[in-house]
Amino acid sequence: MMFVDALQTIWRNSGFSAITWQQCVMIGIAFVLIYLAIVKKFEPLLLLTIAFGVLLANLPLAGLMNEPPAGSDEPGGLLYYLYLGVKKGIYPSLIFLGIGAMTDFGPLIARPSGLFLGAAAQLGIFSAFLIALALGFTPQEAASIGIIGGADGPTAIFLTTRLAPELLPAIAIAAYSYMALIPMIQPPLMRLLTTKKEREVKMEQLREVTKLERICFPIAVTVFCILLLPSVAPLIGMLMLGNLFRESGVVERLSETAQNALINIVTIFLGVTVGATARADRFLSPDTLKIIALGLIAFAFSTVGGLLFGKIMYWLSGGKINPLIGSAGVSAVPMAARVSQIEGQKANPSNYLLMHAMGPNVAGVIGSAVAAGILLALFG
Amino acid sequence: MSISMLDGLLIAVFSMTVVFSVLCILYLVITALSKTLNKVGMASASNAVKQADKQTEVTAPAPAAAATDKDINTVSISTGELKLINVDEKTAALIMAIVSHESQIPLSELCFKSIRALEE
Repeated sequence: MMFVDALQTIWRNSGFSAITWQQCVMIGIAFVLIYLAIVKKFEPLLLLTIAFGVLLANLPLAGLMNEPPAGSDEPGGLLYYLYLGVKKGIYPSLIFLGIGAMTDFGPLIARPSGLFLGAAAQLGIFSAFLIALALGFTPQEAASIGIIGGADGPTAIFLTTRLAPELLPAIAIAAYSYMALIPMIQPPLMRLLTTKKEREVKMEQLREVTKLERICFPIAVTVFCILLLPSVAPLIGMLMLGNLFRESGVVERLSETAQNALINIVTIFLGVTVGATARADRFLSPDTLKIIALGLIAFAFSTVGGLLFGKIMYWLSGGKINPLIGSAGVSAVPMAARVSQIEGQKANPSNYLLMHAMGPNVAGVIGSAVAAGILLALFG
Repeated sequence: MSISMLDGLLIAVFSMTVVFSVLCILYLVITALSKTLNKVGMASASNAVKQADKQTEVTAPAPAAAATDKDINTVSISTGELKLINVDEKTAALIMAIVSHESQIPLSELCFKSIRALEE
């Protein structure tokens, strides 16, 4: 009898007796995401960690996201403490530091007109914002959903934690999944909106950018953007600090750390804790499906915005600018620029658009941060 | 907080306009910065050229006399001899100034052995 009692006690205390069907569904979703990250290599750096976070958070009784009990010395769950970095906006800003250290703004400095393409490609943010409003989301939620169109994971997480934290898991998963799917989302739109003649355009080589220009760029952007929109200070400030580390050439160790060790550590913390917020009771709702659909619309509109402005620039420049570089205005560095290169080369095998597309691509990072700053100022 | 669709539309248009305006101003800032810095760079480069010219004048007053072969000039500068092959002195001075400027090493600390024009 004692043996049966012991078995019953073990069963009662185990997660198997406490698991709900909703948690089983979430565990299934986690397995699918792990599959996509490992086998299909969809943004594996983040998708794998997010997926594992989803898995951990939905295993019953583990309590990894539990707050410390009030009036007790017992600690909270491990992921609860790590999540504070997301909640306080620390991880997205640190990721921007690493991105800044990895980014070469040279193509943008050489041809600053890429900034217009970076601005036009934010169209998806505001289109999705409007549609989300029409679907009954609050303005804060609509703004957070819209930012998926910025195609910038850290910016989406940064804004969502401030405006609609309850939507964070769905928005983060949608943002990173669609970023991984850019090679599938963009090309049909690129071919639909441009003629073969436009896609064939070979662009003139970019001028060389001096070291002094490269050093002054992050300083000027920081001063200008933060004076104008103080709410973007954490993102733009860190992005440009990372870039100054890179371009100054005097802090090689810091630049190396920011673009390797630091960004890797923060990616682990960010991914696992964002995933861990996807608990069954919050995630399994019709709103999640709406967010995933709206994310796709946001990406598509952003691509269309960039391409249409690219066509305007093609026309204004007398056919010197290939409109395909417009689609790279949706951040997603460097994936979107690579898609422009591939499509350009399909139209004309001797076409090399990569460096030309990198300008709008990095301008998109600044553009989405600015858009996030505006939305934060309006609804924060 | 809830807003009407019309307000939403106005907010969307306003926000998109602000994004465009900010990046337009940034475009102007970057363009102005590049122009200013390039002017400063050109000025310092031409100063360096003048300095190099002066050094050449002091140490190699007569190029024609300095070389017997018309295509190969040997110019003495403060740190030794410099062979110029199919390159005139002004171009050589310009090259030296550019190398000094790009490498951030003062001309007085650089030693050029020879400068030769590559044949196409």
